[in-house]
Formats: sequence, structure tokens, C-alpha cells
Amino acid sequence: MESASVPLPGASGGHAAAEAHHHGPPEANQSSRIDKQTLGILLFIVSEVMLFGSFFASYFFLRVVVHPSAWPPHPFELPVAVAGMNTAILVSSSFTIHYALEAIRKGNKQGMKLGLVLTWLLGLTFLFVQINEYVHLGFSSRTESFGTIFYSLTGLHGAHVFIGLTLLTAATIRAFRGHFDKDHDKHLGIEIPGIYWHFVDIMWIIVFFTVYIL
Amino acid sequence: MVKYNEAAVFKWVLIFAVAVGSAIGLTLLAGGLVGALYALVLAIIGCVYAYRWTREWWDNARDRPGGPDHRP
Repeated sequence: MESASVPLPGASGGHAAAEAHHHGPPEANQSSRIDKQTLGILLFIVSEVMLFGSFFASYFFLRVVVHPSAWPPHPFELPVAVAGMNTAILVSSSFTIHYALEAIRKGNKQGMKLGLVLTWLLGLTFLFVQINEYVHLGFSSRTESFGTIFYSLTGLHGAHVFIGLTLLTAATIRAFRGHFDKDHDKHLGIEIPGIYWHFVDIMWIIVFFTVYIL
Repeated sequence: MVKYNEAAVFKWVLIFAVAVGSAIGLTLLAGGLVGALYALVLAIIGCVYAYRWTREWWDNARDRPGGPDHRP
């Protein structure tokens, strides 16, 4: 604290004066390899991985220890084809958000808008298909531990898709208002939701394999 | 400036898609147990890779500003 208010030896003119008037803590160190926004979303994603990990641990415990004989328990069946189609939709949306980012990196604002709108529509379609699936499944979250963990795991992911869609909505509105440009610092508003959206996509691929296929 | 960006994460989407896609194919062809064991092997390989990456990252970061070996 003290050192922040003491002028540095050899410091000249205005800089020394600014140092002399600085009474707060020293400036936080800025990494030369990663900006703070990207670091923030990556650390957040690490915490999210742990959250999903706890749900997967519960899932495998119930499946292997509690219900080892049949999974899903008779007479329930999961709509694998519909979920597979939904998986394709979500994976496609990762390509479209990547296209939007690549477009703005090259200064192509129309491409960025197209990519964002397509991603938003694909994400919304995924969510609607999943809600429709819930309606027609024939069991609820109260139906044995199977129903509870099924709705918990897929619902947790659905909530993340909803949050991702909210971020994408903001990014799309900002894109149409001309807030983004090709410089890295001027399209972080798409970069950060894009990283989050890729994470949501990766988690769904794992959820789909674990819950519907395995 | 930025090494860890959206493009790097997108690459991981592709890696996961291919890995899980192969696990899905094996599960459908050879059954759930084989698919589960294969997925477990993939997960272990992923964990080893992640551990080695974090060690490498930490070794590179020790003498940077904020690191324990940094000398201003």
C-alpha cells in the first residue's frame, strides 16, 4: 500500500506526479497471454464443470448402485431419435457462432449478424424440442429416482441453454446496433458468449451420450 | 495477446464431438458395457492430458509477474 504512493526513482514529470497522488492499492497485474474477460469466463466454466460433475456422479450412483438391473426402469423409454436430432441442432449452433466470430474478425458485419441470428434460432429450437420432449415423455421428476435424475441433469443443461440464449440475445441486439468491430477488444461481447455457448454444447454431447445412449 | 479464445474452445467442441461420436458408434455396435469402458478410457486420457497441461502452464507461469519466482 505504501509503495503505491511513493514516486519511483527515475520516474519523470507527470508520471511521478500521478504516482504521488495515487493512494489506492497497486494496479492488478494483467496477464500478457489472456485478457481478464476471457479468464473470467474460463474460470466460471471450470466451476460449471464441477457442478455438472456432481450431477453426473449422482446419475451414475443411481444407475449403477440403486438400479443396476434395468435402466431406464420398465416401462419407460427415452426418445433417442428426437434427442439425437436435438444434438445435431446444438452442434450446428456451435458452427454458426464460430462463423459469426470468424466473420467479425475479418470485418464482415453481415456475416456476424447472420451467424448470431442462426445460432439464436438453433438454440431456441433446441429448447423448444426439449420442452416438447418433456411434455410427451410420460413420466415426471417424481417418477422414481430415474425420473428425478433425468429431469435434474437435462433440466440443468436446459437452464444453461436458456442463460446462453439470454447472452446471445444481448449480443445479437448489440450486433444490430453496430457495437462490434474487427478489433479483438471490440467484439468481446460475442467472444465471451461464444465460449459459454461452446461449453453448453460440449456438456450436451456428454449428457446425450450418458443419458440417452449408454 | 490472446491465446485462449473462442477459436481454441471451438476446437475442443470438435474434439469432444469426434470422441463422443466414436463412443456412441461403439456403444450401438458392441453394447453398453463396451461403450462405457471406451468412454472411461477416453475420460482418463483427457484427465491425464489436462493434468499435464496444468503442470506445463504452472511451470511457465512461475516466473511471470504474480508468480512465486518472479523477480521485478
